[in-house]
Parts: sequence; C-alpha cells; structure tokens
Amino acid sequence: MKDLALKNDETAAPRARFELDDRGFDEVPKKYRKFYRRWDGPDDTLAPNEVLCPVCKIVIRSHRELLPGDRVYCMACMSRLTVVRGKAGRLEAVLELG
Amino acid sequence: MTDFLRAYSIQQWLESAPQGYLEDTQYGHAAGEKEPAPLMENDALREQAIRSTVQLVVGERCALAASSGLINSAPDEGSKRFLATQTLDEARHVEVFTQRLVDLGVHRTKLEDVIRLHANPNLVKFAELLLEQVDKKDFIAGVVGQNVILEGMAFHVFEMLHAANKDLNPKFGHTLSGTIADERRHVGFGENRIGSWISQRPERKGDIERMQREMSYYMLATFADAFRDAPDQEEVNRLRSNMRRDAGQENPEWGGVDLAASSPEELEGVLADTVLREFKIRLERIGVEYQTPLRP
Amino acid sequence: MEEHGPNLHDLDPETFCDYVHSFQFWFDAVQGYLEDRSYGHRSDTPTKELDEKSRDNLITVLCNYCVGETMALEGAGGLIRVAPNRATKIFLSTQAVDEGRHLEILERRLTELGVPRVGEEIERRASPKLFEFHRHLLAYVDAGDWNKAIFAQNVILESMEFASFYTHSVHTLETDPKTHELLVGIIKDERRHIGFGQNELARRIAADASLARELAQVRKDLDPLVFHAFDEVMEKTGAPRDRRTDTGRAYLQAVERLGIE
Repeated sequence: MKDLALKNDETAAPRARFELDDRGFDEVPKKYRKFYRRWDGPDDTLAPNEVLCPVCKIVIRSHRELLPGDRVYCMACMSRLTVVRGKAGRLEAVLELG
Repeated sequence: MTDFLRAYSIQQWLESAPQGYLEDTQYGHAAGEKEPAPLMENDALREQAIRSTVQLVVGERCALAASSGLINSAPDEGSKRFLATQTLDEARHVEVFTQRLVDLGVHRTKLEDVIRLHANPNLVKFAELLLEQVDKKDFIAGVVGQNVILEGMAFHVFEMLHAANKDLNPKFGHTLSGTIADERRHVGFGENRIGSWISQRPERKGDIERMQREMSYYMLATFADAFRDAPDQEEVNRLRSNMRRDAGQENPEWGGVDLAASSPEELEGVLADTVLREFKIRLERIGVEYQTPLRP
Repeated sequence: MEEHGPNLHDLDPETFCDYVHSFQFWFDAVQGYLEDRSYGHRSDTPTKELDEKSRDNLITVLCNYCVGETMALEGAGGLIRVAPNRATKIFLSTQAVDEGRHLEILERRLTELGVPRVGEEIERRASPKLFEFHRHLLAYVDAGDWNKAIFAQNVILESMEFASFYTHSVHTLETDPKTHELLVGIIKDERRHIGFGQNELARRIAADASLARELAQVRKDLDPLVFHAFDEVMEKTGAPRDRRTDTGRAYLQAVERLGIE
C-alpha cells in the first residue's frame, strides 16, 4: 500500500505505508503498543518503517517508511528523536535537542 | 506498626486505586463524560466553576509539594513508601482538576494566569504555613498539617461538592468521588501513624497546637471568601435550580442542610462547623488538644 | 490523544511531552505490565532453590539495589518542589511511586530469602560507596539544584541501575525466575526515568553549553563511587566479565549523548 501524498525525497518515490500490528510491547498504553516492539539485539533487522531508540533500545515503528529528518517519539522512555542516516548508511535516531 | 504499614503498601495501593476504583477512568471520570451543556453555555455558571476549581488546584498543589517533601524526612521505609503513593495521588488530583479547567474552556497557555487571578490569598497563606514545616524537615508537624488538617479540610469540601454535583454534573461528581477515596487513605495514615510519635514527643504538642489554630483561621477565611464574596451567587443558584428542575432532580443535601435552598452564610456555617468538629475529634485521637481559631 | 490522528509520530512535541508526563499516561502504561502481578511477580512463578553461596550473593546484591531505590525515592520526592513546571512535577510523582514500589518488592524478596531484619541487613551489606553517593544526591536536592540532582539521579544512577538490572535479569532467567521477573518489571519503569533525565538535560545543555562543564564536574565526583559500587554488585551476581563491560558501556553512551565529558 503506497501513500502518494508523502514522497521519499531521496528517491522521489512514494513512501511505503505499513499496517502496524500489536507485537506485545506492554510498556505503553494499549492503543500505542503497535508503534513499538522489543529489539532482539544487533542481529535484529529493522524494517524501513522502524528505527531503534538510542536511549532505551526499543524499536520505534511508524505507519510510513522512515527517512532522514523525520521526527519519531519513543513513548517507553518519553524521548523526542529525529531520524538520521548513520555512518554505516543505516537509519538511526538521535535525541532532539532544544 | 510494621503490620499496619504493610496494609499501606504500594501493592495495596495499586490494587485499590489504579486497578480498583480508577480502572477505566480518564482524568478521573468515565471516558466521554462532559461538563453539562447548560454550565458551558452560561458565563456566570462557567466562571463560578472555574473559580472553585482553581481553589482545588491550589490546595492540591500544596498537598503535592508537602507529601513529596515529607518523603525525605520520614523516619521509616513504610512511611516513605506510603508518602510516595500519596504524592502520586496528589499529582493526579492536580492533573484532573487542571484538566477540568481546560474542559471548562481555559486555554492551556492561560492556565497559570487564571490560577493566579483566582487563587484565594487565604488559601495560599494556609499552604505557606504548611510548607514552612516541610521546609524545616519537621516530619511530625508536617504530617499533622498535611494529613490531618489539610486533608481533613479537603475531605469535607470534596464531600460537600460531591453532594452538590453528583446528579447535576456526573462528570465532576465522578472526579470528586475518586479523590475522596484517595483522601480516606491520607487522613487514615495521618491519624494512625502520628499518634504514637506525638506520645513519644509530648514537648511538640504546643507547636502543633499553635500551627493548627493558625491554619484553621486561614481555612475559615478561605471559606468566608468563597461563600460571602462570590460574585453572581444568586444568579448561579437560580441557574443551578433551573438545571435541577429541568432534569427532574431533587435538591441535594449534605450535613443536614438543603444545599440548594440554603443561604451562602448557612452553607459556610455548616462546612466550617463540620470541618472544625472533625478536626477536634481527629486531634483528640492523636493526643493533640484542639485550639479554637479566631473567626474571620 | 485520538483527536490528533492515527499516527503517533505526527503529534506536535508539546502535546507528546504533556501526555507522556501525565498521571494518565503512567496509569495506562503500568497497567500493561503490573496488572496480573503481586509484589512484582505472577502468583504461579516458580521458586527455585538457590545454593547457599548464590543465596548469600543475591542477598548482598538486593541490599545494594535497596539503597539505590531508597535514594531514588527520596530524590524524586524531594525534587517535586524544585521541578520547573506542572508536567515535570507530575512525572516526578509517578517516578516516586515507581521507586517506592521497587523498594517494596526488593525488600519483600529479601524477606522471602529468609532475611529477618531487612533494614539492618541493608546497612550491613550495602556498599559504603553507595551511601556516599546518596549523601551527594541529597545535598543537590536539598540545595534545590535541579540540573545536578537530575543528572546524578536520572542519568548516572538510573543508567547504571538500568544496565545492571538488565544484565542481572538475563543471568537469572533460568536460575531464579522470581528475581528475574521482579527485575524485568523494574526495567520497564526505569526506561521512563532515564528517558526523562536525558531529554530534560539535553534540552538544557543545548540552550546553555556551560551546563555540560558544570555536570562534568558532578560526573568526576560521582563516577568513581557509582562504578565501584556497581562493580561490587556485578561481581556478586556472577555475571560474566564481558557482560559487566556492557553495563559500563551503556552508562558511558548515555553521558556521551549529552556531551558531558
């Protein structure tokens, strides 16, 4: 399922959209559980709509493909984060300042 | 004493409050409950509701500062844990009453201005007296001030407000019933825990009695301001009577008086007398002699 | 919150911060993992017999944890009056009750392990370095020094606790399911506390770079105490040395993120 309203600036392609399912993450209110899942360690492959919270090591999930510059929230540790492309070329999240 | 404190454990609190009477509530009431339309549509009623809710926020902020400040000076682990639950109860009260201000139409950015504007100076003075004890790390005076005097007052104010609102405004009524349930634990802790400490420190009685007299004065002055000087009181009473008539509800009663038909002076009298009578009983139970305050 | 649309990440930051610092959020969040627990574990969690050395080590470790939780309880409670706004005050009150709960369930576990006078045992067994850390923290709280107190409590102490509880919980998965379950529940609370500390200070440091230098001094004073105490604890948990290195690394990453040297 594609979201035509939101373009991927890096490829000019429409951003992919994702249906989120509850993965049993029980540390946030029920209605927000689908936005998070546990991280299985360094071998855990993240989907294009997922990024790891650097503060508490929980995988944050979004309805749409994530890109550098996106803001995401980690409810488990209450952090505001910005998605960046890390040195290894992977998407990472950094703590938002200010 | 150890067994008594075990009954006031966090596990007990979790099972009775979050997993008990607060389960399925949002900001203290059922999801979807709203302030009644006639109240929201009439400026005099809405203003009166805002003014009285501000006093609740001010009182609860004081209780939050006091209960959290007392954790450090508590002499044992059980008391520290109880005060942690009380701290969270008080924070919840601050939150639900602040949310009520928002529900009544106060913009979030204006909350502090509205609270400053309407906060009763006598209530502020009452709070300052209590917080002085907390700042001095005087645990005994702090607990008497907080859990016997402040909570004793709040308990009856909430009961009276609950009686007046439970039919007319079920949303506010539900919010109040949850806070009353919390207050029961707080007054219980004050009485059960403090008696033994005071019996071990009889030299402290004099200070505590003076504090009670002074705090009681400011409490009475707060009531006097609230009932005697409330603007548009007759109009507010008439509109509330209309709301009750339209809903086919009977006049509420509390403390043996008809809350809808009584004059402001009568209401002030019944609230003040009830609170003072209860103070006397509670203070006697913990071995402190009640001091009659000056009447404002 | 529903009125803000289906995607949580589209919320404006102020709405998000207000919500996650509320009692309502805490209330809905802890329901998920505390609902079916009594004193931190399920009623049917098996109790495994520990040999005498393991039991003795576990008692020492839990005594140290109790000191950490007591100071966090006193710290969180004392900071409410100093907190700069209503949302922060409410968050700290949820933290105070979390810390109180941790203390309660850890003390109860000590009782289950056969410790008759828990308070005395804690005094006897806990690391003196932790008590020294406690005195430093309370001095910041009493002085109303918000930045130093939040740094000491929600960054240094909580990060180290988070990392060591995690290491300890992995180690107890098979050998001591009851302690494992207590620790897993505590870790879930700690996530909020460390996140709060890091977010709160990151914003302040971004606005005033001199704060990082001020906090570097706090770190210099407190790091030796906290490292020494937690090294002792890790030794007693029997965790392999490489896991202990991970514990230290997690803490260092947290302070590095804040730019505090």
